[in-house]
Amino acid sequence: MARQLISGPNFSGRSEALRARLISRGPAFFIGPYAEAALSGLASTVADELTVYRADTARRRRPFAALDLATCADRKPQTLSGGEQVLLALQCFAQSKYRAVGIDTALEQLDGGNRADAIAFLSRLDACEVTLIDNRMAVAPADWANIACAPKASAFVCDLAGLIADLGPRAAPRIVIRDLDFSYRRGADVFAGAGLTLEPGHAYRLFGRNGAGKTTLLKILVGVLAPGRGDIWLGDRPYAPWRHGNAAFALATQNPDHQWCGATLREDVERRRSAAKLGLDTQALLAASRKLGLTSLDQHLYELPLAARKRLSWLWPLSGVMPWIMLDEPTVGQDRDTCGALAAALASFCRLGYGVVFVTHDDEFAAQVPHNIVTIENRRTSVS
Amino acid sequence: MTPNGAAIFVIVILAGALAASEPIGFLLLYAVIAAFARFELGARTFAALLRSALIVLPLAVFMIMVWVGFVGRSPAEIAAGVPGTRVAAATYVAVVCLRLFLIVLVIQLVALRFDRLTPLQFICALRIPATAKRLLALTLSLTETLRHAVERARTALIAAGVITRRPSLRNIVNGWMLVQTVWLSAITIAVGRMRDKWPIEGTIGRLDDLFQRADPQRLGDGDAIWLLLGIGAAVFGIGIGIA
Repeated sequence: MARQLISGPNFSGRSEALRARLISRGPAFFIGPYAEAALSGLASTVADELTVYRADTARRRRPFAALDLATCADRKPQTLSGGEQVLLALQCFAQSKYRAVGIDTALEQLDGGNRADAIAFLSRLDACEVTLIDNRMAVAPADWANIACAPKASAFVCDLAGLIADLGPRAAPRIVIRDLDFSYRRGADVFAGAGLTLEPGHAYRLFGRNGAGKTTLLKILVGVLAPGRGDIWLGDRPYAPWRHGNAAFALATQNPDHQWCGATLREDVERRRSAAKLGLDTQALLAASRKLGLTSLDQHLYELPLAARKRLSWLWPLSGVMPWIMLDEPTVGQDRDTCGALAAALASFCRLGYGVVFVTHDDEFAAQVPHNIVTIENRRTSVS
Repeated sequence: MTPNGAAIFVIVILAGALAASEPIGFLLLYAVIAAFARFELGARTFAALLRSALIVLPLAVFMIMVWVGFVGRSPAEIAAGVPGTRVAAATYVAVVCLRLFLIVLVIQLVALRFDRLTPLQFICALRIPATAKRLLALTLSLTETLRHAVERARTALIAAGVITRRPSLRNIVNGWMLVQTVWLSAITIAVGRMRDKWPIEGTIGRLDDLFQRADPQRLGDGDAIWLLLGIGAAVFGIGIGIA
């Protein structure tokens, strides 16, 4: 059966082409870029999610079992990391009776090993049609057809160089993390005695397998999660954002929809400004949003294409409101040109004295930003 | 006890609690519930009692403030146009709260009794029409969506510095933003799912396959005992009320 890659830049109509293809094909399994479009939403545990899609034994195809069900069967699917959610969706598809699958940029969230396994699994499926959108795949694998979508004149023109042109130097404080312990559940530690020093003017790439704790570390630093033990120092003073609120880190989340504080960008910016009392220049921020492709500040954010929302989610970190910039999987769903521009912007921020922390499985993007690697493995961190 | 027996038991106790009007009726229902808790849950009953108390307590406090503190009369006395007393108002509040506590408690007890089953497994185990199962599964989906939306909105607002993780004055001032963001998130999650994932996959159809594969248990002897006790207590309590 056919295997095809839909290629093209952002806003060229790739997602629409994928959906149209799948709908015309009849019932097909769909894995969108984030949890809401990757998981069924009908199950409260990972085991139930698999049960929903499980077909009769005779009709199952080759297994794909990247998740360790012994440790995650009773977890809520939404609490898995982004990459793990994609692995779960693939596992559900593997044991279902669907004869077609469409994947919209979801594989971009997988680490190198899982991604290779996933592509190998999709490539050897018998009697099954596979359609894929993937910005990290420069050319279609052997035996895969390429469906090219031509670029369209788009309103979402992104000018990242223009966005940072007006910013001046900034001395970000050093961050020191000592003896950090964290676990979501008793007996399942994510960090145990982890330590890390992040110097301003440098970029750090958090690196590790899906579910290693990369996003968890970012959530601790912005105060969404509280560690069980350990302390964080911001310059020469202790810093506990989980108690007093975040005042140093501007985070762009993996799923852009996890960071909006309002329905429109105007509302979002106003709320951040007034609630966090940061003394921001709202007009400058709103003007900056135009450089990320937004034409109307009062447009409902959820009416924008996902790739445009992802770019807008960079506004908060890239407008220089906080000394530390944190980006979680910023390149997911973004074409190569935009990734290149973002890499150049991050390098500029480092030169200005900001600190940058990013999570990515996109080696090509990471290679464009001079960075140190923070490896998260076996509940500890190490810098190289 | 089977999930089907438990579901019928809850309905019987719920009907009895709504129909009972005399203290003896409540006493009988509470006695059945106490026996159920003793034999089916043992020490875990305490957790169910605690959760039920935490749910009912705020309403009880509010009703005492309004009816006993401010109004000073029971609704029946107001309807009859008589002056009334705070004692009658307190009795009225006690009956309402006893009834509500009974309902919440029996649901908590049954939920704890079957806590090894996930909600979807519990629905699959019920002997009810597929449409009713589908409705229950979609209700469950909506509940999970709301919980996910709460987590999502909380992450957004804490990361933006709008609220803090721990209780704070900032949270009191900006709490309304959390409520609004939760609803916005829930709606967009549900809309996104219904626009992309579900229509392409026919995901709801997967539920029908799942329900067909399930093999619900028939009612057992344990069910019969608890149902007879529950029906007996409910009927006796209603009969006394009528007499």
